[in-house]
Amino acid sequence: MTEAFGGSGGIAQYNRDLLWALSKSNSVSEVVVVPRLGSSGGDALPTKVRQLDASRARTTYVARSVSAAMQSWPFDAIFCGHLYHMPLAALIGRTAQVPLWLQTHGVDAWRRPDPIIRYAAEHSQLITTVSRHTKRKLLAWANIEPERVRVLPNTVRPMFSPGPADQRFMEQLGLADQKVILTVSRLSSADFYKGHHRIFQILPSILKFHPDARYVIVGDGDARAELQQDVARRGLSSVVLFLGGRSDTDVLSLYRSSKVFAMPSTKEGFGIVFLEAAATGLPVIGGNRDGSADALADGLIGRMIDPEDEDALTETLVSALAGSAKADANSVGRFAFENFARHVDDLVQRLAC
Amino acid sequence: MCGINGIFAYHYAANPIDRDELVRTREHMAARGPDGKGEWISKDGRIGFGHRRLSIIDLSQAGAQPMLNDDGSLSVTFNGEIYNYRELRRGLEAKGYVFRSNSDTEVLLHLYADKGEAMVHDLRGMFAFAIWDERRRRTFLARDPYGIKPLYYADDGWTFRFASQVKALLAGGVVSRDAEPAGIVGFYLWGSVPEPFTTYQAIRALPAGTTLRVDQIGADTPRRYHSIAQVYANSEIAARSRNVPTLAEAQEHIRHALLDSVRHHLIADVPVGAFLSGGIDSGAVVGLMRDAGQQDIQTVTLTFDEFQGCPDDEAPLAEIVARLYGARHATRVVTRSEFEADLPRVLEAMDQPSVDGLNTWFVSKAAAELGLKVVISGLGGDEVFGGYPSFKDVPNWVRLMSGPSHVPGLGRMTRAVCRPLVRRLGMNPKAAGMVELGGSYAGAYLLRRGLFMPWELSDVINPDILRMGLDRLDPVRRVGAQLRPTPASAHGKISTLESTLYMRNQLLRDTDWASMAHSLEVRVPLIDSVLLQSMAPIAVAGLKNGKSLLAGAPATALSEAVVRRPKRGFKTPIEEWMRSAVNTPSARGWSKTIAASADSLQPSLRKPLPAA
Repeated sequence: MTEAFGGSGGIAQYNRDLLWALSKSNSVSEVVVVPRLGSSGGDALPTKVRQLDASRARTTYVARSVSAAMQSWPFDAIFCGHLYHMPLAALIGRTAQVPLWLQTHGVDAWRRPDPIIRYAAEHSQLITTVSRHTKRKLLAWANIEPERVRVLPNTVRPMFSPGPADQRFMEQLGLADQKVILTVSRLSSADFYKGHHRIFQILPSILKFHPDARYVIVGDGDARAELQQDVARRGLSSVVLFLGGRSDTDVLSLYRSSKVFAMPSTKEGFGIVFLEAAATGLPVIGGNRDGSADALADGLIGRMIDPEDEDALTETLVSALAGSAKADANSVGRFAFENFARHVDDLVQRLAC
Repeated sequence: MCGINGIFAYHYAANPIDRDELVRTREHMAARGPDGKGEWISKDGRIGFGHRRLSIIDLSQAGAQPMLNDDGSLSVTFNGEIYNYRELRRGLEAKGYVFRSNSDTEVLLHLYADKGEAMVHDLRGMFAFAIWDERRRRTFLARDPYGIKPLYYADDGWTFRFASQVKALLAGGVVSRDAEPAGIVGFYLWGSVPEPFTTYQAIRALPAGTTLRVDQIGADTPRRYHSIAQVYANSEIAARSRNVPTLAEAQEHIRHALLDSVRHHLIADVPVGAFLSGGIDSGAVVGLMRDAGQQDIQTVTLTFDEFQGCPDDEAPLAEIVARLYGARHATRVVTRSEFEADLPRVLEAMDQPSVDGLNTWFVSKAAAELGLKVVISGLGGDEVFGGYPSFKDVPNWVRLMSGPSHVPGLGRMTRAVCRPLVRRLGMNPKAAGMVELGGSYAGAYLLRRGLFMPWELSDVINPDILRMGLDRLDPVRRVGAQLRPTPASAHGKISTLESTLYMRNQLLRDTDWASMAHSLEVRVPLIDSVLLQSMAPIAVAGLKNGKSLLAGAPATALSEAVVRRPKRGFKTPIEEWMRSAVNTPSARGWSKTIAASADSLQPSLRKPLPAA
């Protein structure tokens, strides 16, 4: 795994959920985790789960993985948490003659990888993807029976639930009585597909209808400066607020206090933030060209628009800012951990067959 | 014969199924079943079946589908015919199962309740069906051993969908239209799309002779329950301990087996007619219909103005055969203007791209005009009785080329050297590949049946699609895979290849869409798993003059004029008409016309192929 306990970000959270689910499966007796990043020091590990020290350097990671395999022998399956680790996982799996389970997340699995990685991936007994879109993109390059590729979506943590707006927090941010459009995501130069610039582009049109609209961006990364320059160039510095990385508690307050969550992304693996926002009752708007469709449940949880269609995005946001509708938080319940864990158990049982 | 479809929202994250989508998919198949329509959706909204009915057995409302058992724990939607349903019903009744209808559909419900998924081994017929098992919370799908009836499915990771037609699945409005390179390349290689591929990545054909289980984690890998190669291989093992039958014994055995098959294929509550050409296959089948006790047989033959008085005209011989067996015969004339008027409808009805099917379109149209709902066809005679030239050519090529083809590099070098020469001399472009491919049954069969050769496709298809498609399709390996286990006899090998490739992907699929467009059920008694089981021991024991034995099977044998007529296929002037309609007289050119009319193939087109 790239990271699990002690790690940060969406993939680490997903892996932690998976490990908790595996620990609850009656078909699993022990899980040994070899992480690339993160230390489990502060986290309570699930029963049956043992996480080794992280090894950032590639050679050390390979050596530690092989060593862990030798020390854990005999074992029944290998789980590989990233496509780029597959050659190593396949080598160990082939030597040990055990089935391989590959997990893919988003854009990493959308492009045809190098032949060695592709060969290794095609020899997996099971590939799980976070969304239907990623399954479709993976099957475009992988010569593998489609029945070996399953969808295992992200889960939403129970802390994200409906609640009253946090007026004091919004006052602190200078957003009292403002209509807030919210986006929560990393601001990585590799993630320009998230679509912040699309909202910048249409903000002037939105302000004509809602002069009190404000666009709040949560998240940090190497693209933040560039995005801020873009905002300044457009003369929107007074209406766009960059809050940087924030704690889960702050994000929860923002979800509960904003008017709409929007992320017109084009390369979303899944988009857990859509679920978190919708779970609080906040209306959400996302794209229809990627894994967002899964988080939005094809439009049942949130509005799906063509992210490249400025008119549609404008119209939807203007309408959302004018209305008082809430997202159906109950419809997010399908992504509860209990369902995820039951599905993991089913997959483990099938893998063992 | 009907149209079936279904949606199963199996994943916990999936939305409940959409009734409108279910109906959209079903209604795209309206022509498959003009006599009735129905849909069923489970109480929790997670699964639904649709059905379009062509009433043939038990015309009453009791036979309507989707059909549920008494306690509602099983639901079925079914396309096809179970010819041994009466025997099965008697057995089930003896076990205490109570029937509410006289349909074969209800037999499927009770047989599943009795035997579970092993039920498929008991079925004789052509079928594609899905059964929802409420107690096990899973759907079970099955397709007949030869693949006479189609069944396509799409599993997007949350929701499983199936239907009798690819275009019907697309009509639902949510299945991805991403192109499948293997299906596209396969179409150019063979003239039809090889299963399990379609031209869409998201849609797969359930392979003939397999079953599929779909549960809470989605579709499982299809499981094979019938293999033609296995039948031949088993027969060869059994034949070692038996004496080779005499000609008279073989004739008697074949007559008995054929009569049994034809008799089963006549079970219906509506009149059963027959396609009749001037050939042995359809003629023998009509004779056997008479032997089976059918007094009133309506036969139909196509003819064309252009063929009047020519040897290519099938009508005179067909009329002789019809008189011989006392059939009511109709000769239907197809004109060039009718062909040109029908062409857009043909392309619309063509479910997957194909370079054939036009003849079946017109003869089905003629039968429907006569008021027939069911006809018997002689399709399959060449595959079972060794009527194709491939039964001689392929073994000869393998014998001649097995040495040279094993010399490393020689095949490719010969092709590189010979290809320009072959082109200059105006020879068949396949000749350049004789050394490379001719040394194995799989390669030689590709040479014999291929439309284009793999090395020619770079002139036709976009290079990315070609690379991906060839990689995924792996044509020679895929042909070879049909021969597992490998029958020892040449007849067993070629019959298997012809039955599982050309007949399955081309003839049977074309027969389905072209006949169903006219709401006509075509039954094929020469393609029957019980007949194969019975015929295989004779065939592998050194079947000589198989078609003569077929001609001699009816109590009144076919006349010498029919038996000695050189094999011409079902000749039509359609190729000539294509020249004026679409400016292409060859199957190769026609394939590009089809490609241009098929949405899924348009991205694959590169540029016109140089004249062969």
